[in-house]
Amino acid sequence: MHKIADVEIQHDIMVANKKLAQRNQRILDKADVFSIDVLGAIGSGKTSLIELLIDRMDEKIGVIAGDVISKFDAGRFQKYNVPVIGLNTGKECHLDAHLVEHALEDLPLDEMDILFVENVGNLICPVDFDLGSHMRMVVISVSEGDDTVEKHPLIFKDADLVVINKIDIAEAVGADAEKMVKDAKMLNPDVEIIKSSLKTEEGLEKIIDSIKRFKENI
Amino acid sequence: MHELSMADAIVKTVLDVAEKNQAEEILEVTIEVGKLTMLNPEQLRFLLDVLTKDTLLEGAEIIIEEIPVEINCLSCNYKGSTNLDDSDHYLMIVKCPECDERNLEIVTGQECNVKNIRIEKPD
Ligand SMILES: Nc1nc2c(ncn2[C@@H]2O[C@H](COP(=O)(O)OP(=O)(O)OP(=O)(O)O)[C@@H](O)[C@H]2O)c(=O)[nH]1
Ligand SMILES: [Mg+2]
Ligand SMILES: [Zn+2]
Repeated sequence: MHKIADVEIQHDIMVANKKLAQRNQRILDKADVFSIDVLGAIGSGKTSLIELLIDRMDEKIGVIAGDVISKFDAGRFQKYNVPVIGLNTGKECHLDAHLVEHALEDLPLDEMDILFVENVGNLICPVDFDLGSHMRMVVISVSEGDDTVEKHPLIFKDADLVVINKIDIAEAVGADAEKMVKDAKMLNPDVEIIKSSLKTEEGLEKIIDSIKRFKENI
Repeated sequence: MHELSMADAIVKTVLDVAEKNQAEEILEVTIEVGKLTMLNPEQLRFLLDVLTKDTLLEGAEIIIEEIPVEINCLSCNYKGSTNLDDSDHYLMIVKCPECDERNLEIVTGQECNVKNIRIEKPD
């Protein structure tokens, strides 16, 4: 004989990821590593910014480079002689806490002060997945168009720092960087917003200061 | 988008629970998907159909319940549902219906929850 039974599961995949993310944060805290998610549109300057920060910040830095094919960005970081883990996301559009957990196992956390986690260039999917970092930095650039912020509200809502990059070419692409600043402020009144050019290095000092401030207040 | 990894996680969760409960057949699965997740229920349903082929889940009825967004406004203390412009999946902008501010906490709408299953098992 057979019977029909209802089985309660209540397993929220988002919550499961959040729990893993919290575990990642505990691992980072134990090793005294300040971790920063670097999110943003494709080609907005995420890797370029991290490269400059490795060069200019007086801290021991490590990087997790998530990319559809990870060896490209990871290869760029390796030239700086810092610990790097490349994560292939393959067809996936985002990193998740589980992937990061494995990368943490392979990093010399005890020898690091700051970890940058570069996510896949995408303003949509990473929003759903906490990784366990202490700070969320969103890097966009004027060349994506000055309506980028309005179009992707959720990623800005959870950001701690928004970098509006490539202002050196704003005029050429006919984008109004001020509009992007205003839109981000409206979505997230408390967020810090910095306009930058990684070519002229305008705004770079401000970004470094902002990271230092966050790190101290953790 | 990431419907595929979600669908995969859902299938694994369900099969795991079904096995632990000695299910011989899974009749029904109920999944809750928040309106604010970047998940498209129709795409999710399609992928679940594909992924459940030749598993115990094949043929089960998949019920996807959309969970509306509820907010807690930090500006005026309003609690409850919100106006969503969901004419476009990516354009959803949440703001307080009372004071129009965007300074708010999202209480529900971000879930991807495998809620329950109905199975057939030996007596
Ligand atoms: N003009 C200008 N070009 C920049 C600036 N920042 C970065 N770039 C250029 O933009 C291109 C993309 O930069 P990346 O740092 O690779 O961007 P990314 O966000 O890491 O890209 P993905 O990881 O592929 O999403 C490169 O050719 C950079 O030299 C800037 O401030 N101004
Ligand atoms: Mg990059
Ligand atoms: Zn309000």
